[in-house]
Amino acid sequence: MERKRLASEAAARWMLGTCLCLLLGAPVVCALQGPLLLPPDDTGPENASWESQETHNNESSEHTVFFSLDYQHVQVPFEITLWIMLASLAKIAFHLYNKLPSVVPESCLLIFVGLIMGGIIYGLNDKSPPVMDSDIFFLYLLPPIVLDAGYFMPSRPFFENIGTILLYAVVGTIWNVFGIGFSLYGICQVKSFHLQDISLLHNLLFGSLIAAVDPVAVLSVFEEIHVNEKLHILVFGESLLNDAVSVVLYKLFRSFCEMSTIKTVDVFAGIGKFFVVGIGGVLVGLLFGMIAAFTTRFTKNIRVIEPLFVFLYSYLSYLTAEMFHLSGIVAIIACAMGMKRYVEANISLKSHTTIKYFMKMWSSVSDTLIFIFLGVSTIGDNHEWSWSYICFTIIFCLIWRALGVLVLTFFVNRLHVNTVTSKDQFIIAYGGLRGAICFSLVFLLPEFPRKKLFIAATTVVILFTVFVQGMTIRPLVDLLDVKRKRESAPTVGEQIHIRFLDHLLAGIEDISGHWGQYYWKDKLEYFNSKYLQKFLLREYDQPKSSIVLLYEKLERKHAIELVEAGQLIHEPSHTSLLDSHRSTVVVKESDSMNPDVLENIQKILSRNLYRIRRTVPAYNRHNLPGESGTAEQAKEILILRHRSLRVHMNRSDSDHSRKEKDDSYSAHHRFETKPKLCRSLTVRDPEKVPDLKCSRSKSMTFSSPLQPGSTELLKEEETEKRSLAEIEIYTKER
Amino acid sequence: MGSRASTLLRDEEIEEIKKETGFSHSQITRLYSRFTSLDKGENGTLREDQVNFRGFMRTLAHFRPIEDNEKSKDQNGPEPLNSRSNKLHFAFRLYDLDKDDKISRDELLQVLRMMVGVNISDEQLGSIADRTIQEADQDGDSAISFTEFVKVLEKVDVEQKMSIRFLH
Repeated sequence: MERKRLASEAAARWMLGTCLCLLLGAPVVCALQGPLLLPPDDTGPENASWESQETHNNESSEHTVFFSLDYQHVQVPFEITLWIMLASLAKIAFHLYNKLPSVVPESCLLIFVGLIMGGIIYGLNDKSPPVMDSDIFFLYLLPPIVLDAGYFMPSRPFFENIGTILLYAVVGTIWNVFGIGFSLYGICQVKSFHLQDISLLHNLLFGSLIAAVDPVAVLSVFEEIHVNEKLHILVFGESLLNDAVSVVLYKLFRSFCEMSTIKTVDVFAGIGKFFVVGIGGVLVGLLFGMIAAFTTRFTKNIRVIEPLFVFLYSYLSYLTAEMFHLSGIVAIIACAMGMKRYVEANISLKSHTTIKYFMKMWSSVSDTLIFIFLGVSTIGDNHEWSWSYICFTIIFCLIWRALGVLVLTFFVNRLHVNTVTSKDQFIIAYGGLRGAICFSLVFLLPEFPRKKLFIAATTVVILFTVFVQGMTIRPLVDLLDVKRKRESAPTVGEQIHIRFLDHLLAGIEDISGHWGQYYWKDKLEYFNSKYLQKFLLREYDQPKSSIVLLYEKLERKHAIELVEAGQLIHEPSHTSLLDSHRSTVVVKESDSMNPDVLENIQKILSRNLYRIRRTVPAYNRHNLPGESGTAEQAKEILILRHRSLRVHMNRSDSDHSRKEKDDSYSAHHRFETKPKLCRSLTVRDPEKVPDLKCSRSKSMTFSSPLQPGSTELLKEEETEKRSLAEIEIYTKER
Repeated sequence: MGSRASTLLRDEEIEEIKKETGFSHSQITRLYSRFTSLDKGENGTLREDQVNFRGFMRTLAHFRPIEDNEKSKDQNGPEPLNSRSNKLHFAFRLYDLDKDDKISRDELLQVLRMMVGVNISDEQLGSIADRTIQEADQDGDSAISFTEFVKVLEKVDVEQKMSIRFLH
């Protein structure tokens, strides 16, 4: 049976491989017909000749033709679809071989496929393959990715680290731009490199486009290496927000290139422009987000088109920002983050699922296409090679990024509460990948003699960062980790106690108010509940019925959870049965622990200990929230808590008097329940209805205290209704 | 919502708390506003079980990071609440449910059960607990006393691990 199944698997894979190869041929044919991405005018005269030939044929034959080929009619959509199909099939092919994505990040493989395609086209056509048009990239390919990133951005870690992120994005990018620009200018002064015709301004222009870290590349590499949440959000957030800075600098230097004299007024205007671009982008995004939320308030009767509004408004915000030369990326992120909370409260569950899936799909397709086009566009006559310039560009990019991260982290660690460790710093510096944004920007440069050199340099830097840094970052992360562990060689006891302390700390941090940013969050929540929600949420003006609805929803969810709990317990996994059998036998035989058993224990612990909130990344690029293992973990903890709640409710009366004696011990427990209790639904208090909506919208922020704090919470008595509310908040988060 | 409550805290009280816990004035004020926003019933305590603000601060004081200037200062006075030993004592008390200054096998099992998923059977958990006690136990009483607990964690940077940097 096994062999048959394996054989059929292998057969299926071969079939897919052949399909892929055939499909590879199709775009080649298309390319031979005429370059896809040139403006359609070029195919005009060809069209005319084709048609005249056809009519000529028709006149000569004078029969009705059963079968005819009219390729020109469908050329553009046909080719686009073929490219997308190629991209998607390539993706399937990669994931069939399980080992491959773990060694080589997907982006590298996609660029590789693009290179092959480009090579084929170049070889057959003997001229450059279609170059990725900057307009297509900026208007069509980039927005879905950024929208996806912004919509699923875990807002709590993002806003907790916003200071650090902004610092890296703004100051770090400026540092990089000027550093790279000036040092390259210094290199250009050296006579032996024959580069003296590149002026300082050109170097700064080049620096401004090469210094920006690219969100697309960073996302695709980082989601595979599973760093902790804080680090992920730092690099990710930085790559998204530095768009504002790099756009301003790029446009500024470009306009300087065209101006004959530069006055200091212009420089100050540039600095002012940066604020305009950034803050303007945020405002445009928020405006569209609010309008979107408002629109969804009225979509109750036409549920089907609800997802469309989300996409339309986000895209509009992007285009509007680009129209005013503001930062489109920042706008779309602000729009997505702003509208998410209200839209999700207003739309139906099915629309919600649709939005999630469509976003993931579009961003995935865009992502793949970008990398393939990057590969295709590399091949061609666009390049002018200069060893010195290119090598020094790479070196300076690395050096300045490392320096920038070091200096900025020094300041961050002194001023800020969360420290960035040196290992994190290394990852941040090394994870500064450049990608398609630089590539498109370089093609947008005005024509001047050295443009091809810049294109070549940009291409090499991108390929270097994606291939070399992308592939080696994962082993480096593992290496750094492993080294630390080996130094201490923790005992089982240490491991347990350390994990225990982690849980404890996470709970205390929540109690003491999210490191002091509670104040602003509180203010925002107050503003939110008083004004925004009345305006933007549909069901706000019917408080009574929503209590009833919510209560029914909770009861339903409770019933489902109980049934699932039954399922979970009656199905022990086979491995654990085997393991337990073996280990208990061994323990009974000898007093001292064998190394076998010890290894078993270590394995069990590493696999099964609940990961604390801080180390689990809440956001994963290719999975929807709620589908990863952390959701299972949350559910399990909840079910466990339920069971022991019932047990404790029976025991609580007898224990109550004893517990009251303990001061610090019980005090600790008491106020760990409090955040949950305050924020949870208290069904009996109708006047606390504003809190009701608060709790739902705060679910992102306050449900997480429930998770690690739960270890201590189990010792407390609770009422049924509060635990029901917990479920609601839990499932709302997930 | 939160900041308006700071007027309810008297200055003498703040001074007392400052001496006892080592927090600064602004930290205490901010934690007080946090306390009042947690305290929905507005009766000065959290839940009905009378944990007042002093108790709250005392517990949080354990998690204050150890600053360098404190280490050399006060050798004669009472040990500050955030010393390494007191931090470990706090953690120890969480394990030790029956307050007998020993972590017995059952207490350890309870904590382990909370931290680990449902896939682990009781026997496996039992053997893990046994191993933990065996590693730590030096006086052979099959339980972990406070000194043994400290010894287990001697290589761990508890000062850093059990600290939250409260903003000034």
